[in-house]
Amino acid sequence: MAPLLKVENLRIELATRAGVAPVIDNLNLELGHGESISFVGESGCGKSMTALAIMGLLPEGIGRVASGSIQFDGEELTTASPRRLREIRGNEISMIFQEPMTSLNPVYTVGEQIAEVLRAHQGLSQKAAWKQAIELLNAVQIPNPKSRMESYPFQMSGGQRQRVMIAIALACTPKILIADEPTTALDVTVQAQIFDLLRDLRAQTGTSIIMITHDMGAVAEMSERMIVMYAGRKAEEGPVDQVIARARHPYTHGLISCVPHIVANLTEERQDLTEVPGIVPGLSEFGQDLCLFSSRCPRVTDQCRQARPPEAHFGNSRISACWHAEEL
Amino acid sequence: MSDLLDVQNLSVRFGVRRKGGFFAKPTYLTAVDDISFTVRKGETLAIVGESGSGKTTAALAIARLVSGLTSGKILLEGRDLLPLDREDLKDMRQKVQVIFQDPYSSLNPRKRAEDIVREPLDSLTDKSISEKREIVDGLFKAVGLHPEQKRLFPHQFSGGQRQRIGIARALSTQPEVIICDEPVSALDVAVQAQILNLLRRLQTEFGLTYVFISHDLGVVQHMCDSVAVMYMGKIVEHADRLSLFNNPLHPYTAALLSAVPSVDPMLREQSRRILIPGDPPDPLDLPKGCRFASRCPVAEARCRDVAPRLKLAGSNHRAACHLVEDETSPLAGIRS
Amino acid sequence: MMTDQTIDPPVAKARSPLSEAWEMFRHNHSAMVGLGLLVLIVLAAIFGPLLYPTDPFDMVWAPFSPPGEEGFLLGTDYLGRDLLSQILYGARVTLIIGLSAAIVTVVIGVTVGALAGFYGGIVEEALMRFTEFFQVLPTLLFSMVIVALFGASLPMITFAIGIVSWTAVARITRSEFQRVRELEYVMASRASGASNSKLMFEVILPNALPPIIVQSALMVGSAILFEAGLSFLGLTDPNVVSWGQIIGSNRQYILESSFTVTIPGLAIFITVLAISLVGDGLNDALNPKLRKR
Repeated sequence: MAPLLKVENLRIELATRAGVAPVIDNLNLELGHGESISFVGESGCGKSMTALAIMGLLPEGIGRVASGSIQFDGEELTTASPRRLREIRGNEISMIFQEPMTSLNPVYTVGEQIAEVLRAHQGLSQKAAWKQAIELLNAVQIPNPKSRMESYPFQMSGGQRQRVMIAIALACTPKILIADEPTTALDVTVQAQIFDLLRDLRAQTGTSIIMITHDMGAVAEMSERMIVMYAGRKAEEGPVDQVIARARHPYTHGLISCVPHIVANLTEERQDLTEVPGIVPGLSEFGQDLCLFSSRCPRVTDQCRQARPPEAHFGNSRISACWHAEEL
Repeated sequence: MSDLLDVQNLSVRFGVRRKGGFFAKPTYLTAVDDISFTVRKGETLAIVGESGSGKTTAALAIARLVSGLTSGKILLEGRDLLPLDREDLKDMRQKVQVIFQDPYSSLNPRKRAEDIVREPLDSLTDKSISEKREIVDGLFKAVGLHPEQKRLFPHQFSGGQRQRIGIARALSTQPEVIICDEPVSALDVAVQAQILNLLRRLQTEFGLTYVFISHDLGVVQHMCDSVAVMYMGKIVEHADRLSLFNNPLHPYTAALLSAVPSVDPMLREQSRRILIPGDPPDPLDLPKGCRFASRCPVAEARCRDVAPRLKLAGSNHRAACHLVEDETSPLAGIRS
Repeated sequence: MMTDQTIDPPVAKARSPLSEAWEMFRHNHSAMVGLGLLVLIVLAAIFGPLLYPTDPFDMVWAPFSPPGEEGFLLGTDYLGRDLLSQILYGARVTLIIGLSAAIVTVVIGVTVGALAGFYGGIVEEALMRFTEFFQVLPTLLFSMVIVALFGASLPMITFAIGIVSWTAVARITRSEFQRVRELEYVMASRASGASNSKLMFEVILPNALPPIIVQSALMVGSAILFEAGLSFLGLTDPNVVSWGQIIGSNRQYILESSFTVTIPGLAIFITVLAISLVGDGLNDALNPKLRKR
């Protein structure tokens, strides 16, 4: 079966004061029907920009698709009309964001906001939309959905607001749900609830999920496959458990081992965390013909500073863009 | 080792006006409710909890930085910090310093890095200019910044570097205790490791005692020597690092631990998640029984009627739960 | 001593937020045009009367001589006085009134707003009720009453303008103080042992200043307009010339020789426009949200 989403040689340029910078530099990826993948990396690596490009929501006048293609269900999105993109957004691809408070309009009740989406996208009548909105609140496990319809966003907790956002995103049974750091603003017990909810909904509806996160634990909980991004480029791609067990890119390895993970049987012994020194380079340094991670990499050699590493393919459709991938 | 910090029956209340404006009678929100704990010299006590648990308020109360009504005792080397007057407070502030959460808002954007680091020295000590300059230069090196960078302004630094400036500021008066209020939660993951390693290195180097506030259990597990878990203003469990993480007794602690997403597939299989449904109760309308009862998977009738007290449940292990008996968690049956 | 590995070579030059703001301002064309105009007007006010010493109260020629005729560049008014000289001398008075009224406004407004925003609680409630009292007074009427009661001297006019327009500054100062007060570096300063007055004036105020500066700049403009309004109604010191007063005294002849009213009107218009352009430019330059990128 053809993939649901196919991104080929995508290059997105961002106009900055210093000039044009490739925030996404030759990115390829595929998303299957019902699949869940994660984009992983630090902030400023192009994870969210990729998602915005798929949604057709690049910041106007600043960002543009310079080359490459985004095919959704066989349809080219980079050349689609704004009208068509609007139809696709919300109907077929929807998105939830990090901060559920600012994504909801404070002057309308949540019921009105969900029903509005249903009427606009599915052409339901007022009454039918209201009824379905209650069902959606029920589906995202908000207690007393009927009375909660009349609540304003500020009357709800952060977790409940994120549930409402998910209800709105799922209102039109989209084929793809993009979740941009959906639980970063939430407490860990609430995060667990939201992850469970997303997993259940995915099982029920078959929606594909793209999750954007910096938390390897969240990736492991939510996705089958992950794409590690660094400075606008794909660093590594592969099945989650395999990548975590044996990363084939030093950046992935750094991301995993720099975080103190909860261990099952804790001992007195404590080691220093592995540091990834420095920070993600600024936009002005993107797009050079070298490995952009070389300045922070413990395995750097001259080769890394002289040419951009090609994507090396391994078994189980694993990819690593590192000159030393073979040795890792 | 002896207890450097001994907090007894600490409570912090804030007056809040719900409605009615000027003439309404204020109601009180008890952010921290009668908590007690001790910290040994040179060690790290972590206070863990979710938003609204009161962990930050409790920690900032130790540094005398909360505006609410504070009661109880905060003994530093045997001396109570709460009733101090202005002059004694200066002395106390030298001994208790804070590293703040957000390196973007914790540095005054109009001051140069060196002025920020020197501020506690200026306000709290009467050292000479050259002494202070020497101290500041040393601090820049100690936290891994170039002394040449000291003339720069905060916005010219990255998030991790800014947090290093904040750490240098906290170290400037050679404090005994440093309150670390979520010092890495605003940083990128790769930078977090740099800061955590730095904090541990500085601890051994200067013999520092940390009160470490965090919601990230992985970070806590890595940093702490003992842990206090807070829920809705109360300490629900307080234990040494190993006993807390290897044998969490309170159902809330267990749920918290199981909610952390794990990269370890074994661990994921092993600990089936203990889901706690719903949200915490309204802090202005707390239940009379156990505050966790409404979300607790094993709550009984007595949990809703009687608030449990923090009681000893093993060596150096205290839990506030009616159902905890002799180092066995009430969830032991459910989890396997 | 163990040191951490250093991250970036220290290449950057120290750049204060202020110098960055100037950089931003410098690239804003309309703001620079406004600044240029303003500089010209101020220079004219300072040096004009020295280079063009004709007394503005002297009747030098026949009334209503149109601009350009008989060597009078801007013509003469209804008493045959030189309009150019009146405009130049009036610039001084107008600018001084505008500036000092703005200063009165800022001093009262910032004090009230800072105390209310910093202390909160009862202090804030009381001060804000006080502010609201001044806010609901009809401004023109109230200032007319003051001037009518205490005499139309320049200081009194300045005071009257200041007393009716400080409320906006107070509100802005209060809300900025409330915002900045909650930032962690204020708590950090407190933890470093800073006293309340130090927190208020050395920590919070500099960071709360940008919108206050913008508002004060615009205040100069509105004070000039206000003075013009008062002079137009005749509530002004007859011993000095201001632009508003020129308009006021010539208003009866607006239909026959409109230039006597239009020229001072244009002067006011250009000055206030220049101030607004500068104020807008300051707003953009001092707004950190716009500065990034």
